[in-house]
Amino acid sequence: MRPMLTLIRREFTAYFLSPIAYVVLAVFLLVTGHLFYLTMTSLTESGPRGAEFPMQAFLGNEWFWLVFLFIPPLLTMRLFAEERGSGTLEMLLTAPLRDWQVVLAKYLACFAFYVVLWLPTLLYLPVLVKFDWHTLQAGIDPHPVWTSYLGLALAGAMFLAVGLFVSSLVRSQMVAALISLVLSLIFVVEAFWPPPPELDMDSLVYRVLYFFSVPLHFSRDFTRGQVDTRHLILYASVALFCLFLTVRSLETRRWR
Amino acid sequence: MIHVEHLTKYYGEYAAVRDVSFDVKEGLVVGFLGPNGAGKSTTMRILAGYLTATSGTVSIAGLDVFWNPVEVRKRIGYMPESCPLYPEMRVEEYLKFRAGLKGVYGSKRRSRLDYVLKRCWLSDVRRQLIGTLSKGYRQRVGLADALIAEPEVLILDEPTAGLDPAQIRETRGLIRELGKEHTVLLSTHILSEVERTCDRVIIISKGQVVLNRPLTAGEGVPGELEELFVRITGEVEETVKR
Repeated sequence: MRPMLTLIRREFTAYFLSPIAYVVLAVFLLVTGHLFYLTMTSLTESGPRGAEFPMQAFLGNEWFWLVFLFIPPLLTMRLFAEERGSGTLEMLLTAPLRDWQVVLAKYLACFAFYVVLWLPTLLYLPVLVKFDWHTLQAGIDPHPVWTSYLGLALAGAMFLAVGLFVSSLVRSQMVAALISLVLSLIFVVEAFWPPPPELDMDSLVYRVLYFFSVPLHFSRDFTRGQVDTRHLILYASVALFCLFLTVRSLETRRWR
Repeated sequence: MIHVEHLTKYYGEYAAVRDVSFDVKEGLVVGFLGPNGAGKSTTMRILAGYLTATSGTVSIAGLDVFWNPVEVRKRIGYMPESCPLYPEMRVEEYLKFRAGLKGVYGSKRRSRLDYVLKRCWLSDVRRQLIGTLSKGYRQRVGLADALIAEPEVLILDEPTAGLDPAQIRETRGLIRELGKEHTVLLSTHILSEVERTCDRVIIISKGQVVLNRPLTAGEGVPGELEELFVRITGEVEETVKR
């Protein structure tokens, strides 16, 4: 157990030793800042316009997801690909650590960084929920906020796991990033290629699309305070499956 | 201490190691020689637990490397040929990290760290980034890493590759000293090194062991081993060609 903690700590610190992390942090803050500005604008517009759910403007927006999709590949590309390229994977795999411990440690470190990425957005919350500092109560229903963050945590977990798996397959970080990006696009493509309006909502095609389309999950459910466990199960099972595949991928390395 | 029996490793169709068997008794320093591509690194990687053999058994300190990998790795200090390190970490950070991975914590870690830094002549560069170190220093960091958890067995793949003559001499002396407390299996191209530090020599060629015998101190005429090496590995080539 403790060897795993050592590895988690080193992997997490390693993020801050490379410029990529800072670039990702900066770009992310820019994007979320801009979205916050747009949300505030729509919320404070006079007249009969506005948004019913602030988080929806924030996270239901498909452009947010397009930009966001670049982030897990950038965070996960170096995890295994760099180690394979520089030969340090040999040192990790000859340490008294099981393969699943190595995979889990890298994954947890990466997820911890993802959490750090989202932490500054907590600053927006008091404004978004019209937090009253005197009564310490939210002016509007705060539940959509919690459900949105829950969805973000698990959706992020899924994308990061996909990126981790791809990183364990290739030697080049660039290739790892690109392939994970393409794979993650599968979960977002619906938002940019909306199904024709005459498509019956009850039809199989629509239901399959809805099942996989992450922006739809957010704009329909998470940002409105609804927790649809189907979505959570999708995220969790894809993440676990990718982690399993990553462990297997490491194991095959020993047989080659 | 190290027991290898009928070890075979295929990379696809290519047999890198074919039916290799040898023993390394406790406390000995054994030199593993062979031409390039003979299967030295492959054998060492299998011993260290990085690769899995296609067939055969390997046991270290009585534990099977395949069935008990984690326990075996706790008892081994491995230094691969290319000596891979993380260039963005500092020397002592890296060694602390490796110690943590190998289950050494707290005050024991601090004392082992000081010990290996001293033993491998790294005290001056402990706060330096690994990326800024020269090859010789990096090899020393690799060696320090192999030593940090007090392993019973040291497996060193070309520990003096790329070092200048003075560094080679120092490292050779260090290995001789280490040989008194640990069991060492080292591979090298430098025959004089084997003559001077090893108790036994194993020559491997084209995946098979062709020589396995003890070396008496100050073995014969310097260069005799080289003659033997060239002759034996030449012979094996002849047999294979035919």
